[in-house]
Amino acid sequence: MKALVLNYGVGNLFSISSALRRTGFEVEIATEPKEVDLIVLPGVGSFSAVASFISRWKRELNDFRRRGVKFLGVCLGMQIMFEEGSEGGRSQGLGWFSGYVDLIKGAEKLPHVGWDVVEESKPCILTEQLDKKYVYFVHSYVAYTDFQAAMISRYGLEFPALICNDQIAGTQFHPEKSGNSGSIFFKNLVRWIKV
Amino acid sequence: MTTKRIIACLDVKDGKVVKGVRFIDLKLKGDPAELASRYEEEGADEIVFLDISATIEGKEILLEKVKDTASVLSIPLSVGGGIRSLDDISKLLSNGADKVSLNSVAVENPQLVTLASKEFGSQAIIVAIDAKKVEKGWRVFIRSGTADTGLEAVGWAKRVQNLGAGEILLTSIDRDGTRNGYDIELTKAVVGATKIPVIASGGAGKPEHFLSVFSDAKADAALAAGIFHDNVISIRELKRYLKGKGLEVRT
Repeated sequence: MKALVLNYGVGNLFSISSALRRTGFEVEIATEPKEVDLIVLPGVGSFSAVASFISRWKRELNDFRRRGVKFLGVCLGMQIMFEEGSEGGRSQGLGWFSGYVDLIKGAEKLPHVGWDVVEESKPCILTEQLDKKYVYFVHSYVAYTDFQAAMISRYGLEFPALICNDQIAGTQFHPEKSGNSGSIFFKNLVRWIKV
Repeated sequence: MTTKRIIACLDVKDGKVVKGVRFIDLKLKGDPAELASRYEEEGADEIVFLDISATIEGKEILLEKVKDTASVLSIPLSVGGGIRSLDDISKLLSNGADKVSLNSVAVENPQLVTLASKEFGSQAIIVAIDAKKVEKGWRVFIRSGTADTGLEAVGWAKRVQNLGAGEILLTSIDRDGTRNGYDIELTKAVVGATKIPVIASGGAGKPEHFLSVFSDAKADAALAAGIFHDNVISIRELKRYLKGKGLEVRT
């Protein structure tokens, strides 16, 4: 299985690549998308910065999606799959999920940094064995949606922690930083890709 | 509730883990990648590398060690020590660090904190504050505790939050390596004055010290080095103890 980690130009792509390699993926880090089994949108930068990168490749990304390539977005990489975000000025996302991305409301401290429990709310292959497990979060923004997420977590408010359909998955947490829970997620991911 | 984090710190000199008392008298403790994965196995929530190499060779070895460690680790890794520029930060982040910790440079060039948090996100930027008790309050020291900045620690903590820091790593120089307990008053003062997570550091000697810094000082995370290296306390037992006392920790 081939995974491509999209490089927006800043931050740590090493951890997500290592985690994918440990799970058995052949990993390439590239500045433009191409046809592989899984395209990963990693979780670094700010929404507006990534949005301007993404807007250049929107057509290609949508083409790959139509041709059956699967996608995983992590943290900001998941947020960018929504319609719009407010971080760094209002900008458009990919619009693959309905909803918008804004600051976490009602939180005592931001960023939300650390380990919290995720809860299954709409089970799928990706959520298997993860209910009530601790995963690692680092973020100040969350997605506000009108659909039911596969898993939720709470910090000041209830927010989507894992969203997925047959082809696109996103995590607000960092599976590559989530110890054993992360390994479970990546094993599930392999099964999800093969379906 | 976000769990209280236990962070294992590795002081790294020329690619090896060392540990001193009150920032001096260094002793060799082993290989960073090996120790880091041992601590992950034991239940550490994060690993911090503090580079105390004084040489260019030492800095280059560090990048290699960060990479080695990041490739075996599946918990967050922060790196600090001797960072001077956006380029230094970028190099560390692209070699596997999730966050960097800025100390002396934050005092000497506060604008870097702002630039770095804009470029890499505030979640990637920790500002480390080394504080020493003075007659009234605490004073910020830099350059491994050797230079008095004249800055008052609590005010400086507020300032770094405004500059864009995502976390504060607060070390009591008076307690560092003594195993006499965290400086609860200092930690409490900084936690009370800021809205970003505070990592308490310096003085951990027994499980009660961790309980106190979490319950009394409301720290978000507690960092320790020597007691873990010397097997005085295992992280697993420590977490069991804290859980027994009603704290939420990841087990």
